[in-house]
Amino acid sequence: MIDERKEEAAALYALDLLEGAERSAFETQLQSDRELRRLVDQLRAASANIALLAPLAEPSAFLRERILADVADREPTTPDHVVPFRLPLWTGWAAAVCFIVATGYFSVANFNARSQANFLRESERLTRIEAGNLSNLLEAERLISRQQISDLRLAQADASALRTSLASAAAQIADLKQQNALSDLKIDALASLVVGTPDARAIAVWNPRTQEGVLTVAKLPALPEGKDYQLWVVDPQYPIPVDGGVFQVDPATGEARVTFKPNKPVATAAKFAVSLERKGGVPKAEGTMMLLSY
Amino acid sequence: MSSPAVIIPPDEEKHAVDAQILQRVAAGDQAALGELYDRFSRPLYSVALRVLNDATEAEDVLHDVFVTVWDKAADFEASRGHAFSWALTLTRNRAIDRVRSRKRRSEILTQAVPSDLGYDEADDAKLDSADTLWIKEKAAAVRSAVATLPADQRQALELAYFGGLTQLQIAEKLAEPLGTIKARIRRALLKLRDVVSPQL
Repeated sequence: MIDERKEEAAALYALDLLEGAERSAFETQLQSDRELRRLVDQLRAASANIALLAPLAEPSAFLRERILADVADREPTTPDHVVPFRLPLWTGWAAAVCFIVATGYFSVANFNARSQANFLRESERLTRIEAGNLSNLLEAERLISRQQISDLRLAQADASALRTSLASAAAQIADLKQQNALSDLKIDALASLVVGTPDARAIAVWNPRTQEGVLTVAKLPALPEGKDYQLWVVDPQYPIPVDGGVFQVDPATGEARVTFKPNKPVATAAKFAVSLERKGGVPKAEGTMMLLSY
Repeated sequence: MSSPAVIIPPDEEKHAVDAQILQRVAAGDQAALGELYDRFSRPLYSVALRVLNDATEAEDVLHDVFVTVWDKAADFEASRGHAFSWALTLTRNRAIDRVRSRKRRSEILTQAVPSDLGYDEADDAKLDSADTLWIKEKAAAVRSAVATLPADQRQALELAYFGGLTQLQIAEKLAEPLGTIKARIRRALLKLRDVVSPQL
């Protein structure tokens, strides 16, 4: 079956309209396609009919004679036409010389060809070796890369575990610090030393690291005019208690909650005491001692 | 006194005679070449003249063709066509080659491919031989077949056969896409094959 594309090419070929590569390609097809060849023959015959459309005309009378005269000396080429030919006597010698020359030439050519072939073979061998080396190198690089990737993954896992561990340790440290801080705190309960106020109580919490404390009192008697309660911290390193500051209480309930900071560094808060002093406080306890650690 | 009646030979008989004469030419018979010239020269010359539009150049082409026939007669394959068809193709190709080698191609085309088909056959009654009558009869059949083609196909076909133009030049001349021209030529030639191929 010849498709339209081939038919088109066949029509153009029959009219001598195919050129160049298009023509060469079509002629190649023709050699192996009998059906296409037959179509081309048919189309050529059909196109020859178009010639009959030309108006009939007569060539000059002399043309016939001219053509016949011109072909008179020409032999038509026939497949079985053989022109007799006699070899000259020197042909043998000439052939021998030609043979020797040709032998020499072909020997040199053969040698050159062999040399070139050997060179090419050697080049090919070296190229193959080089390619093998490159292949091995690539394989080694691949293995190293794989190992490095594995190491990196392990290191990444280690780092992650380490981070978790550090976080845990930090939490433990914070916890320990908190526990340590709490363990440093000194908490004392203070009881009344005055017969008239037996229910008076106080709690002192002391943080030696910050040198601060909190005092909470209850049921102390309302302060008389011109008086303050004053807190004292008893530290064995000093001959007299350290001033912890003055404070007032709620006259109705006798309660107060104050933060205190002694006016000297306290190494050991052995006891806490509260006395009734002059307004503004005194450097050394003078008045009635109201509360004392027990 | 009336002239004797001329009998037009049947197609196969004519082709067989042509083939025999060509065989004699292949064998080196010059008289046979003269006979072949008498049978073929008018239609071959007409084609060359139509393509070239120059009598001297057309005769040069005819000369070359008959010398080629003399040289290559042995190469002719009767199984692939008729001798007359072969000679026509040779003539047309030689003429086209000349057209394509000319610088003044466009000028020639204007003259060589008139808008009508140029079926003028004035004053050739004196040339009527049996072969001439055969040619005329076949030409009439071809004309009627070609007349059935659409005008655009007919025009493309004539430009392709007589014009010596390339596909692209035909497309440019007719202001149509190349693909359209190719399709027209294909359709026209296939139809012509179906209608008139047995003619030559």
